[in-house]
Amino acid sequence: MTWLLWRQHRIQLALAVAVIIAFAIPTWITGTHLSTALQDCQASSNCGGFDLLRHYGAIRVIVNLTMAVPLLIGVFWGATLFGRECDAGTATLVWTQSVTRRRWIASKVLTLFALSIACSATISGLVTWWSNTANATLESRFDGAQFDIQNIAPVGFAVFGAALGLAAGALWRRILPAMATTVGAFIGVRLLIELAIRPHYMSPITQTLAMGAAKQSLPSGSLEIGDDLVLHGHVLSGPVAVDASCGARALTRERMDACMSSVGYRIRHTYQPASRYWTFQWIEFGIFVGLAAILIAVAVLAVRRRDA
Amino acid sequence: MSAIVTEGLGKRYGGKWALRDCTFELPAGRVCGLVGANGAGKTTLLKLLTGLSRPTAGRAEVVGQAPADRVEFLSEIGYLAQDVPLYRRWSVEEHLQMGAHLNPRWDDAAGRERLRALRIPLEQKVGTLSGGQRAQVALALALAKRPRVLMLDEPVAALDPLARRGFLSTLAEAVADGDLTVILSSHLVADLERVCDHLVVLAESRTVLAAELEDVLASHRLLTGPRRDTTAIEREHTVLRSERTHRQVSLWVRLEGPLHDPNWQVEELNLEEIMLAYLGLGSSEPAEPVLSEVSA
Repeated sequence: MTWLLWRQHRIQLALAVAVIIAFAIPTWITGTHLSTALQDCQASSNCGGFDLLRHYGAIRVIVNLTMAVPLLIGVFWGATLFGRECDAGTATLVWTQSVTRRRWIASKVLTLFALSIACSATISGLVTWWSNTANATLESRFDGAQFDIQNIAPVGFAVFGAALGLAAGALWRRILPAMATTVGAFIGVRLLIELAIRPHYMSPITQTLAMGAAKQSLPSGSLEIGDDLVLHGHVLSGPVAVDASCGARALTRERMDACMSSVGYRIRHTYQPASRYWTFQWIEFGIFVGLAAILIAVAVLAVRRRDA
Repeated sequence: MSAIVTEGLGKRYGGKWALRDCTFELPAGRVCGLVGANGAGKTTLLKLLTGLSRPTAGRAEVVGQAPADRVEFLSEIGYLAQDVPLYRRWSVEEHLQMGAHLNPRWDDAAGRERLRALRIPLEQKVGTLSGGQRAQVALALALAKRPRVLMLDEPVAALDPLARRGFLSTLAEAVADGDLTVILSSHLVADLERVCDHLVVLAESRTVLAAELEDVLASHRLLTGPRRDTTAIEREHTVLRSERTHRQVSLWVRLEGPLHDPNWQVEELNLEEIMLAYLGLGSSEPAEPVLSEVSA
């Protein structure tokens, strides 16, 4: 089996290694620069006006694009693993050699996940290390896009992507529909969880502030969920008719805020504090690995039980 | 010893039986032709015998084992699927290496020798070979596995007459060399006549005949005579097909014993005519179009 795995997947592996190296080199160079600069400014306790990142626009774009890695793993590794063999009919060739289908499935699936985890963990490790400067100065690692590409969440996504592709390939038995299903389902599930479910992994903390006590009074590094306008404890939605006393004359923003505060309006911030970052990473990772486990079971059963 | 035994073997896809009540026995060392119209269940039967699919009813045994996902079973069989699947971007050499890595009884020398004799370049990508060469590579792979039962699904259907002849002679040599049982589906009767000594005929998903080729030829006759009542003959023998004009009646008959009525004019039937009579069974359509390529 080892020979077969190597022969069949060596090109994919070589491509993955090439992509990782191509990504690692600029990331390493710019990351080293950034971390030296960060140490310098921290030594002089003068990171307030830290705008070094502004000169690293291109590499930041590339780093953010690593969000697509789990999807690519799903489409090009997951969906093709069973999909291609069934599509080309070679499944019947390999299943009538003196190797059981069970063993063939097990070796294929283990290889897929070992490589998916290795690749996504390497890229995520690089991204996390590179983002150290941004994390320290912008405190942004809990924000959607940054949360998705650092630490263990992206590894969970990669495992899920690979499992999704695997199941799509096993059920469709054709490559193109399997790839298309993988793309659609991956994006759908990721968006659903990120936008609708992630903010509620733990009950958020609310903080009610006077009007105009701007967002900077939110604890740094937190995941912001929303702002609501409240009046005497009731959340207001839709357009608000401000009292005549405030709205009568053209006002500056500050005077408007002060006036509304005096009438009783408050802003209520809802957020997840920075201290919950790792809990959220593990919950996100757990959810995607759990979904992956179900998909792997479906895929393996489909290939083992269904007739060739 | 029997190489293949089936008993009431059946396979249903959804509500439709692709194969049912399939019962036959194939002694070891035979070359068996599996004949039937398109959709008669030939591929289904072969997949059940290889263990690639599971029966809905009945049972099968191949060299004494139920087809299953086990090394002991898989190493006894060789299978060549209908579309001759190979890894198109691999060279012939790489296919041989795959065979060597995946099969404990692999006969590498014999596989290479066979391909060398056919002048098939081992370094060439399989996708660039001709259809006939690809079929030969696939056959060489299946044989190098040293199976006791080789199952071939329409291996020559897509080949030109010359490639077909080459393929069948490779097969015949392999059979002559050793203790190999072959079951080969085809609807090209002329080819079957050349290599087979046993026949299994499927019509409408059922086995309608399973016998030695010699016996098949000896027991089937065309009876013609003036028009009259045929119930007597239908009681004693099996009438496969009949044609009546207002003056004459023709019966394609499998004789189940001696023919007592001397009033019939008896003619021998060739294999093609016998097959046509069987393939017409159970369908009101004339059988001829199904076998139109027979004489090609």
